[in-house]
Amino acid sequence: MKKLLAALVLAQASIAAPALAADYNIGAAFPLSGPNAEYGQVFSSGVNLAVEHINADKKLKNKLNVVYEDSQALPTQGVIAANKLINVTKTPYVLSAFTGVSKAIAPLGQRNKVVMVNGGGVGPDLASLGEYFWNTIPLANFEVRTMAPFLVKEKGYKRIALVYVDDPLGQAIVKELGTELKAAGGELVGSFSIPTTAQQFSGIAARVRDTKPDAVYIASYGNQQVQLIKQLRDNGVSQPLASYSAFAIPSVLALPESKGAYYTSQLVNWDKNDPLTKRMLEDYKKKYNKEPNMYVLNYYNAVLTFAELAAALEKAGKPVTGENLLAQRKATKNFEFVGATVSFADDGTVKSPIQVNQIEDGGKSKIVSAAK
Amino acid sequence: MLAYLQNIAVLFCINAILALTLNFIMGYAGIFSLAHAIFFGVGAYTAAYLALHVTDSLLICIAASAALSAVLSMVLALPALRVRGEYFVAASLGLQVIGVTIFSEWKSVTGGLGGMIGIPPPKLFGYTFGSQASYLTLAFVILLAVLGITALLVRGSFGRSLMAIRDSESAAQAYGKHVNAVKTLSVAVSAGLAGVAGTLYAFYMSFVNVEGFMLDMSILLMAMVIIGGTGTLFGPIVGAALLMALPAALTYLPFIPQSELGTIQQIIYGLAMVLLMMFRPGGLVGGRSKEKSA
Amino acid sequence: MLFVQLMVNGLQTGALYALIAAGFSLIFGMTRIFHAAHGATFTIAGFVFYECFSVLQWSWPLAVVVSAIAAGIFGVLLDRWVYAVIQRHEGSFFTVFVASFGAAIVVQNVISIVFGRGMVTVTTPLSKSIEVIPGLFVAPMAGVAILCAVVCFAILQYLLTRTNLGIALRALGENPNLVEVYGLTPRKLSQYVFLIGSVLVVPAAILTATTSGLNPSMGNHIMLISIAATIVGGVGSLRGAAMAGLLLGMAENLCLAFIDPQWSEAVTFVILFLFILFRPGGFYGRAIVS
Repeated sequence: MKKLLAALVLAQASIAAPALAADYNIGAAFPLSGPNAEYGQVFSSGVNLAVEHINADKKLKNKLNVVYEDSQALPTQGVIAANKLINVTKTPYVLSAFTGVSKAIAPLGQRNKVVMVNGGGVGPDLASLGEYFWNTIPLANFEVRTMAPFLVKEKGYKRIALVYVDDPLGQAIVKELGTELKAAGGELVGSFSIPTTAQQFSGIAARVRDTKPDAVYIASYGNQQVQLIKQLRDNGVSQPLASYSAFAIPSVLALPESKGAYYTSQLVNWDKNDPLTKRMLEDYKKKYNKEPNMYVLNYYNAVLTFAELAAALEKAGKPVTGENLLAQRKATKNFEFVGATVSFADDGTVKSPIQVNQIEDGGKSKIVSAAK
Repeated sequence: MLAYLQNIAVLFCINAILALTLNFIMGYAGIFSLAHAIFFGVGAYTAAYLALHVTDSLLICIAASAALSAVLSMVLALPALRVRGEYFVAASLGLQVIGVTIFSEWKSVTGGLGGMIGIPPPKLFGYTFGSQASYLTLAFVILLAVLGITALLVRGSFGRSLMAIRDSESAAQAYGKHVNAVKTLSVAVSAGLAGVAGTLYAFYMSFVNVEGFMLDMSILLMAMVIIGGTGTLFGPIVGAALLMALPAALTYLPFIPQSELGTIQQIIYGLAMVLLMMFRPGGLVGGRSKEKSA
Repeated sequence: MLFVQLMVNGLQTGALYALIAAGFSLIFGMTRIFHAAHGATFTIAGFVFYECFSVLQWSWPLAVVVSAIAAGIFGVLLDRWVYAVIQRHEGSFFTVFVASFGAAIVVQNVISIVFGRGMVTVTTPLSKSIEVIPGLFVAPMAGVAILCAVVCFAILQYLLTRTNLGIALRALGENPNLVEVYGLTPRKLSQYVFLIGSVLVVPAAILTATTSGLNPSMGNHIMLISIAATIVGGVGSLRGAAMAGLLLGMAENLCLAFIDPQWSEAVTFVILFLFILFRPGGFYGRAIVS
């Protein structure tokens, strides 16, 4: 019996000891399979590129690795994935994606003092998940505060109709849009909520038309946006469309019916001539043959954040643990992200200037209103 | 490493309870339900709501979730069971769909699509189940209790009535069995215990949202029961273990691309269901005969 | 005007649902097999059409024919290779249903692997609606859908009442054992049933592909509608299923005038529950209390 116990302890110790003791491991709980696997691929491309650059620059004393676990974008699977990363890989820094997953694993991060970073979800509920939960993507309510005055004052669209998915993000947008439009002198003439799985929108289109709006704001995400835009246009809604940064995915940009639609996004000055932005842009284009989108950007920046904090900790001679990373972040004023300089608020969210873009032919957008 | 294994073990206990309770009506009573995830969900939301707003006493939460799930199931069962089997399938499918909509929309109670976070750990007679190890013990004890209850019911006269009804309703009725009452009661027991699993889940995850209770979950549970073997006591447990281990096992096969793991997994259990029904309807544990061996 | 618009939308949706439900009801009524893979047949038909028409750029008549062949083959093969085997040794409702369900899962995932998990649409100018009268937008596709449904039902009616095959099929539905006495084989007849039932979904699949798009998991929604319509219309009655499909399509759209869209799927099931409670026989069928 004793021998068996000893053997088990030995086995556990050898499995638990990280294979490369000197390397830095960050974790990522992404959907690698399941209906949202494509997002997982997009996020990973940003993460991998950042890791490559950081190692090439020798920013850190040790090599940086990223360990991926499959969350399938579901909360229960996310918890299993995060558990593996925290308890087996023993990483102090985990990248998260999808709000449901983030909410489920945040308590684990809090309990185990492991930092968790979101670069994809934009719901306001992501701001209240504890000290160890950070966001490198500005949350959606800020975006509305830029879009509303733009539509009313600069474009003269006073009556806005809203189609939204009835989750915390959508609900926040209803509230924000209502107040912001009023403040700018406009009006929210109708708000119509849709389920996340809806595919048929002819009825919604009829109701939107009924309110006689000047413009229509869409708060949805993923593939549903494509269907929504197409069917609104098919069913007689010819008014201009507006949305938040979720529009910045290839399927929406490439859709002919999206032409002319406005969307907000965090300020990314792609023409910013600093070497960081330039290199990221060029290398990404070389590798994947397309321009990086907002999600790639935010996860790239999330890895950059780790590198900056870890480098500072190394200089101060402190170990790179979750607790120290948090303290270091609080002590750092600004971060050089790709395309912009940002700062973290106390609740772990970033404030970033917002710009308004308009979709043109061929899946490109142009900036129509500089960030404020 | 230990914490990781404990995590898997707790989730296994929860899934095993769900599979056992589903098998109770599917395998022994011959009643086909596609809404098991909803009863799971009702239990979870009840416990979450009570824990966040009223009390974190384990006993009260378990009792409340079991009761609510059971009552809800009777609302479904009473009208549907007096007609034909297919009607219950349709009604349960309807309940699954409406249940998801209600979970997503009743924001004041369920938190809507955002769900409920920050559920505190449960308390029993002053002891708080805060650590992972204590929780695993709790989950395991409840699993044993459910197994015991199921075994008792199945081997007793209630179980015999059930199986008689499953094999031939008209004969059972001729023998004086109250067919409808027995069927409804079995559905209530099954749903109530699924509600208990929901309580476990809510306390463990500290977070509930609708994503854990959708049609995919009901289908997964059905697969666990069928592949493990209906009408056997240990079949569902085997099924639960197998289907939970499948995703991890698949990662060891190098020729499967990462992004397709989920689909391959589903194809495997879809195929397993088809092939098993063709050649071995009793499932892995049950064997050739679909007739129970309790 | 909103109401009229919703009614027109409802007619279009209802026509498609009627076709889908009729296919399922035909199979269930005549073979007593709960063909849970009917949704999978729909998905296959839709995606094959998409592949042939949008991707390979074949002409649409050719794409329609290929799609119909694919759907028909799927239905018949499932019957021959899976249902037949099960019925030979046991054939209980449970076993057949589970096998059917398993097949549906396999199909859904295979299509996911081949086509990806997102939505795909077949773009055609016919789906763009025209303002017929102020406030009323109708797409040519709506007219096509309704016309298709009418034609299909007319053909089906003719087939079932005037041809020998049709009469044999109806006999199969009433009494499979008696059919054998007359020298016909129920097994062979059931293959015809599956062929016809599966091909019936093809027009609906193609029309859906052009209007709201396809995705691999749409089979679930199709099954929901098929089952609900079959019960509401009355098990065994084709006319009932078709009418129920129309009713459900109309209800799904008209309710949008009063409630939020998240509840429109629930409306279908509320109707179903009400029928189960108060009129389990549906419109035309007889409820067999077991």
